[in-house]
Amino acid sequence: MSREESQIPELIRHLGGLRTGVARAISEQTGVAEAQIYGVGSFFHLLNAPDVKLRVCQGLSCRLAGSENVLESIGGNGVLASPCSCLALCDQPPAVLNDRTLSTWNDGEVVALDEAALGGAVSESRSDMAIDLAGEPDFSNRALNRALELGPQAVLDVLEASGLQGRGGAGFPAHLKWRAVRDQAETERFVVLNADEGEPGTFKDRAVLARRPDRVVEGLTIAARVIGANDVTIYYRGAFESLMDKDFEYRGVRFHLHSGHGAYICGEETALLEALEGGRGMPRLKPPFPTTKGLWSKPTLVHNVETIACLPEIIMRGGEWFRGLGRSEPGSKLYSISGHVQKPGTYELPLGVTLDELVEEAGGYVGTLKAFSPGGASSGFLPASERTRPLDAKSLAEVGSMLGSAGVVVLNETVKMPWAALHQLRFFAEESCGQCAPCRIGTRLLAEQLTQHLSSGAPLDAVDDVAWEMGEGSICGLGQTAALPLTSAMKYFPEEFSR
Amino acid sequence: MAGLVTTFGAGAMTNSIGEIRDVDCLFVIGSNTTEAHPVIGMEMKRAARRGATLIVADPRKIWLSTIADRHLELTPGTDIWLLNAMAHVIIAEGLTDDAFIAANTENFEAVVATVAAYTPEQAAVVTGVSADDIRWAARTYATTEKAAIFYTLGITEHSHGTDNVCALANLVLMTGHLGKPSAGLNPLRGQNNVQGANDAGASPIYFPGYQRVDDFGALARYEASWGVTLDPKPGLNLNEMMKEMGRKLRGLFVMGEDIVLSEPNVGHLEKGLNGVDFLVIQDIFPNETTRFAHVVLPATSFAEKEGTFTNSERRVQRVRKAVEPPGQARADWSILLDLAGKAGANWTLESPAEVYAEMVKDTVRFAGISHERIDREGGLQWPCPTPDHPGTRTLHEGGVLRGKGLFTAIEYRPSSELPCDDYPFVLSTGRTLYHYNSATQTRREEGLDSKQPEAFVQIHPRDARELDVRSGDEVAVSTRRGEVRLKALVTRQVKPGRIWMPFHFKEARANLLTNDVGDSVTGTAEYKVCAAQVVKVGEGTSKFPGAYAVE
Amino acid sequence: MTKTLNINGSTFEFVDGESLLEVAQRNGIGIPTLCHDPRLKAVGACRTCLVEVEGQRRLTPACATLAAEGAKVTTDNARIARHRQLLLSMYLADHPIGQKNRGDDELLEMAERFAATPLGALRSARPGRSENVNPYIKFDAERCILCARCVRYCEEVEGVQAITLAGRGSLTTISTADARGLLDSSCELCGGCVDVCPTGAMSQRAGWPLLKSDTKKVRTTCNYCGVGCQMDLVVDPDANDGRGHIVRVDSPGPGTTTNDGNLCVKGRFGTGFVDHPDRLTVPLIRGEDGELHEATWEQALDRVVKGFAAVQEAHGKDALGFVSSSRCTVEENYLVQKLARAVYGTNNVHQCAAT
Ligand SMILES: Cc1cc2nc3c(=O)[nH]c(=O)nc-3n(C[C@H](O)[C@H](O)[C@H](O)COP(=O)(O)O)c2cc1C
Ligand code: SF4
Ligand code: SF4
Ligand code: SF4
Ligand code: FES
Repeated sequence: MSREESQIPELIRHLGGLRTGVARAISEQTGVAEAQIYGVGSFFHLLNAPDVKLRVCQGLSCRLAGSENVLESIGGNGVLASPCSCLALCDQPPAVLNDRTLSTWNDGEVVALDEAALGGAVSESRSDMAIDLAGEPDFSNRALNRALELGPQAVLDVLEASGLQGRGGAGFPAHLKWRAVRDQAETERFVVLNADEGEPGTFKDRAVLARRPDRVVEGLTIAARVIGANDVTIYYRGAFESLMDKDFEYRGVRFHLHSGHGAYICGEETALLEALEGGRGMPRLKPPFPTTKGLWSKPTLVHNVETIACLPEIIMRGGEWFRGLGRSEPGSKLYSISGHVQKPGTYELPLGVTLDELVEEAGGYVGTLKAFSPGGASSGFLPASERTRPLDAKSLAEVGSMLGSAGVVVLNETVKMPWAALHQLRFFAEESCGQCAPCRIGTRLLAEQLTQHLSSGAPLDAVDDVAWEMGEGSICGLGQTAALPLTSAMKYFPEEFSR
Repeated sequence: MAGLVTTFGAGAMTNSIGEIRDVDCLFVIGSNTTEAHPVIGMEMKRAARRGATLIVADPRKIWLSTIADRHLELTPGTDIWLLNAMAHVIIAEGLTDDAFIAANTENFEAVVATVAAYTPEQAAVVTGVSADDIRWAARTYATTEKAAIFYTLGITEHSHGTDNVCALANLVLMTGHLGKPSAGLNPLRGQNNVQGANDAGASPIYFPGYQRVDDFGALARYEASWGVTLDPKPGLNLNEMMKEMGRKLRGLFVMGEDIVLSEPNVGHLEKGLNGVDFLVIQDIFPNETTRFAHVVLPATSFAEKEGTFTNSERRVQRVRKAVEPPGQARADWSILLDLAGKAGANWTLESPAEVYAEMVKDTVRFAGISHERIDREGGLQWPCPTPDHPGTRTLHEGGVLRGKGLFTAIEYRPSSELPCDDYPFVLSTGRTLYHYNSATQTRREEGLDSKQPEAFVQIHPRDARELDVRSGDEVAVSTRRGEVRLKALVTRQVKPGRIWMPFHFKEARANLLTNDVGDSVTGTAEYKVCAAQVVKVGEGTSKFPGAYAVE
Repeated sequence: MTKTLNINGSTFEFVDGESLLEVAQRNGIGIPTLCHDPRLKAVGACRTCLVEVEGQRRLTPACATLAAEGAKVTTDNARIARHRQLLLSMYLADHPIGQKNRGDDELLEMAERFAATPLGALRSARPGRSENVNPYIKFDAERCILCARCVRYCEEVEGVQAITLAGRGSLTTISTADARGLLDSSCELCGGCVDVCPTGAMSQRAGWPLLKSDTKKVRTTCNYCGVGCQMDLVVDPDANDGRGHIVRVDSPGPGTTTNDGNLCVKGRFGTGFVDHPDRLTVPLIRGEDGELHEATWEQALDRVVKGFAAVQEAHGKDALGFVSSSRCTVEENYLVQKLARAVYGTNNVHQCAAT
C-alpha cells in the first residue's frame, strides 16, 4: 500500500459515503483499484450506509436506559436511523450519533453534547492523582522540558520504576514497548495514539480528551522524543470528531489526526494500523508486533489515551510516586462506570479498589447489585459476591475475568442475565472483522443458539466447544474473549439458563 | 528470428519463463505482454511487485506501462534510434562489460563507430522519448546484474525487424547480460508453436534444427536420410509467396491458416489467389481463404490429436488427444502421411511419436527428446542432445552457442511509409487479450466475444475532437491499400497522431490496410507502421466492455 | 551453516524465509490448509494449519510462521486435534451444502478426514452477487468460507484487483466494486479465482457440480499463445454420442509446470470452438459448377495429388508452395516440409508466423 492510499476512507467520506460510482471516481483520481476502494468503504459503518443520519446506541448501558424504544420512535418520525454499537457515552444514555456528533436523547429530542458535557462526571480535583480530570489544563510543558533534560535513558528508567502498564486493555508494561522501539535499527519510527475507544462500557478516553488534552499532547511529545519519532498519529473514533483539531506541529513533532469511520475492531492496535494505511481494518498476525513492524512497516509505539496521559506527572514526580498511587498494582486508574449507579462517570482511583468503593464514588447503587462487568464486554460478568474483589488485573484474572479497559457496568436485580449476555454476543458478532472463522462463525453460532434457547428452550450444548475453539483459534483478542459474556453468565447464574 | 540465429547462433528465448520472477531489470519493448502472453505477463507483474525495475518501451499505453518505473512512449518505427542511443550512453559512460566483450564477441568496434552519432539528444527529437529517460534506461539496464529484455511483434513486424533484433542483441552483448539465469534476450512467440514450426524446418532456408539447406553437409545428411536428391537453393518465404501468388506460384497447400485474413495488403493477395491453378486448404473451420480453394480437407483441433508444441522458452511439450474428431475429420499428421503415400513416397511412419523420433535423428539440438521422455518427465527444453541430458534452462551458459556473439552495426532506416497530408496518422495493428489471430476460435466463444464484441480503432482525444468523433462513432480508416469501417474508441492509450487497431475482426480487416513490404531477411511484413486517414461516417454508441481506458 | 528445527521429534533442515508449513510439507508431514496457496502471501486466516511451537502460549499458523533455528514444533496432539475438529465443525455449520450439490469441495473432504460434523446450522449471511451475464464464473455465497484465496490471487498473481472482500463480520462477502457483474469490472476472466477456490464457491458455470470421478482429465498444451501453458482438459467421455466433450479446463497445481498453475482467459475458456457446428467434417472438392461439394477422403486426396502434379508439370517444381502453421504440431510441420522437399522437390515452404 502506498501512503496515498491512506486517504481513501476520507475521500469516500467527502464524496458522501460509499454510493454507487464513488469507488470509480476515487479510482480515477488516485489510480487505486476500484474494488479495493469499495472493499475499504464497505468495511466501515460510517461510510457504507450514506443515507443513515442517526445512529442509536444499543450497548448494554443504553439498553438499560431504553434505547430500543428510542430507535422505534425515531424510526416512526420517518428519519433514517439505525442501531449501532456502544458509542462511549454510557454515562449519558441513551446515546445517539447524529452524523458524527455525539448526542443524547432527551425528552424526544436529539441533543448535541458540547465539550463540557463530553467531559462527563468525574472525581473532584485531586492534585495527587496522575491525570486529575477535574484539574486545570496546564500547557507550560514542564514535564516535557524535564524529560528533555533527563534524556531518554533516564526517562525509560523512570517509566520502568513507575510500573505503568498499558491502559488500553492488554496491560503490557510500557517501558518494555518503548525500549523495543528504541532498540530497532530502523530510525524512522512512529508514535500512534489509540483514541478509538470502543469497548462497551468504556468512555474514560473521551473524558481525558475533553478535559485534559494538555496531558495527551505533552505525553505524546515526550514519547516521540524518547523513542526518536518525528511523527505522531492520533487515530480517533469518528464520534469524537468534535474534540479533535486539524493536523498541527508542536515542539518539532508533527501531529497527524486521522478519523476512524465506525469499526470497533480498529481499536485493536494492528487493525488500527491497517485502517491508518487505508485498508480494511483487519487485525494482522502477531508477531511481528508493532514495535518492530508497525505503521508502514516501521517501528511504532501504540498507546492508549490514558496511558499517555499518565506520563507528564510520572516525569514530574517520579516513578516511585506513581507506583505508590496504586493499591494492589501500580498507579492510579480511570474507571468508567455506568448502568445501575447513581452518578455514572469517570473516576480516578487507586488501582485495585473494589466495586463497592468505586460505586461509592459514583454516588451509590440504584437497586440491588446482581452482577457486574468489570472491564468492558470482553470481561464477561461477575456476580454480586465479587463486589469486594480488587479491580486489578491479577485479581480479576483469578476468576477468569479481566481488568481490560476498566469499563464497569453495574446490573441490578431487574436485569435478566441471558438477555444481557445476548446483547454482548450480538455486539461481538456485529463487530467481528470477519477474517477468521472461529470468531466470525463462533459469535454468530453462540448468539443464534442463545436466541433459540430463549425462544424454544433449545439446549445450549455447543457453547463449551465453540467457546473453547474461539479462544484457541481466533486471531485477535476480540474472538478470543467474545464468548466470555455467555460462559460467565452461565457459570454464575446457571438457574437462569435452564427452564 | 533470423537476427538472433545470426548473432547468437540460436533463435529463441535465452532464459526460461520461470526465471522471469527473479529478473531485477525488465526491459519490455514492443510487447503488450499482459494481453499477448498473459501468463508471462503474470510473471513480470510478480517481478515488479517484488521490486524489480520495469522499463516499458511501447508507442501505446499498455497495462504494463501503468506499473512501469518508466514508460518510453516512442514514435512507431524509431526503435533503432532508441536502442542505438542507449548503446551510445552505455559506451560513453563506460558501462560496458569489457571482459565479456573480449572473450565472447566479435565486431564490437563497428558498433562503437556507428552509435557514436546517436546521441540521446538527437534520439529524443526522433523518438519523442526524452534524453533523460534514454540515459536512465541505458544506465539502469547496463548496471543491473539480472537484466533481461523481452520483445514481441512490436520489434519484428517492421520492414527493418531484423535490424531491431540486432540492435537489441548489441545491447545484450556489450553489457554481458547473456548466458546467466534471469539475464538475456527473449523473443516471446506470438503463437503456440511458432518455435516448434521453426525448429521443425518449416522454413525456406532451414532444415530441421536450423541447418541451412545450402549447407552441403546438411544437404547430404538429409539426402541420405530421406533417400532422395534435394535442392540446395533456398525457397520463397511467406511474404514472397504471397506476392508471387498467381504469378511464379501456381499451386499452394495451406495448412491451418487463413492467409486472406492474416496477411498484409490482402487486396493484392486476393487478386493473386484468383490466378492460382490449384489451392488446397487443410483446416478445422471454413475461412476467408476457403473461398478460393479447390480442395478442402477437414482437420483436427489440438484436443483431438497427439503431438508436441514447443513454446517460447524452447520447451517441447505434449499435445494429447482428449476427444474424438467430429464427422470424418482427420488428424493433420495422418492426412499428410496419406498424401505423401499417394504421391509415391514410401514413408514408414505411423504415429506422431515416430515422426518426432525421425525428426530428432538428424539434429543435435533435439536428439535427446522423445514423446516417451516427455510423458515421463514433463516438457523438455532444447538443447537436449542426449537421452540423459536434462534439457537447458538458460541458453549460452557455457559460452555463446555461435562461438562468438556477433555485433552488427545498424543504421536507422525510416519505416517504408510515413504519414503525409493525405494519410496523416500512423496506424499500428496488434492483438488483444480476448481474441486470437483471426479469431476463428475465440469469436466462436460467447464470453470472449461478449467482452470484446466488435472491431475498434483507438484515437487520442485531441485527434478525436478535431475529427468530431466520440467513442462509439463509426469511422472509416483508409490507407493507400484500402479502407475499413469500424467503431472509434477515444482513449489516451495512443498518443496524438497515432491510431491502433486489433487485427482479429473479419468485418474490419486490418490487413486491408497494412503494408506488405517485407523485412529483407525474414520476409515478415510491416504490420506495425503505415500511414492512414480517419473520417467520421456516423454516430453510434458502444460499451467497449473489455477496454480499460475509455475517455 | 545449515539451520535446523524440530518437528514432532525429528530434526529438519531449512533455509531462511521458509515457513513451518513449507518445511513440514517438504518432509511429508501433513498439515491441513484452506487459505494457503504457494503463490500467495500467507495470511493465516483460515486457522486450519495451527500448530504448537514450544514457548508460545497460543497456537500458531504454520503457513505464516517462519522457520526459526532450534524451534520445537508439534503438528499433532490432543489440543491440535480438538482444534481441527471443532474448527471444521464450525465451518460446516456455516456451509449449508447438501450432498446433492456437493461438487469437489476441499472443506467437505477435509471434514470427512477429521470426522467433523456440523456444530449447529446457520443460514448464510453473506450477500450473493447480482446475477449477471458473464457466462463463465458463478459465485455461490453460501459455499464461501472467506479464505480470500480468490481475492488475493486476483490481486497478487493476476494483478487485476477486480474482486475484494466486502462488508464486515459475518456479512463479509466477495464482491466487485459496487457489486457489479464481472463483465463490467476490470476482471480479465482469467478464471484463476475459480481455480484457487477450495470449496467451489467460485465455480465455472460449465460442468458444475460434476465430480472428478465422472470425468477424465487429459494433460495437454494450450493452443493459443507461445507461453505453452500446461492444462488439464476435463472431459465428459460420454457426451456427444461418445465422442466426448470438454467440460472445462483446469490448471495443473502451482509449482508443477511452467505456468505455475495459471492460465489466461483464452486457455481457460477458449475451448468451445472444438464442438462448434461450423467445424469442417467432410472433405470438399470444387466442382465444375464452381461450388464446393462433399467427397470421400479417397477422392479428395487423389484430387490433391493430381492437382499438384499438373501444376509442376506446367510451371516447374518451384511453382508449388507450402504454407504450414504454427498452430499445428511440431510433427505436422516436420511432415509438411518433408513433403515439400522430399516429395515435391521444392524449398518453397514456410510457416505462417515466422516470428
Ligand atoms: C478487540 C480489541 C479492541 C481494542 N480496542 C481498544 C481501544 O478501543 N482502545 C485502546 O486503547 N486499546 C484497544 N485495544 C488494545 C490495543 O490492541 C492495544 O493493546 C493498545 O492500544 C495498546 O496501548 P496501551 O499499551 O497503552 O494499552 C483493543 C484490543 C482488542 C483485541
Ligand atoms: S478474532 Fe474476530 S475480530 Fe479478530 S481477527 Fe478474527 S475475525 Fe477479526
Ligand atoms: S477471473 Fe481472474 S481477473 Fe476475473 S475476478 Fe477472477 S481472478 Fe480476477
Ligand atoms: S469464493 Fe472461494 S476462494 Fe474466494 S473466499 Fe470464498 S471460498 Fe475462498
Ligand atoms: S493455511 Fe494457515 S491459516 Fe489458512
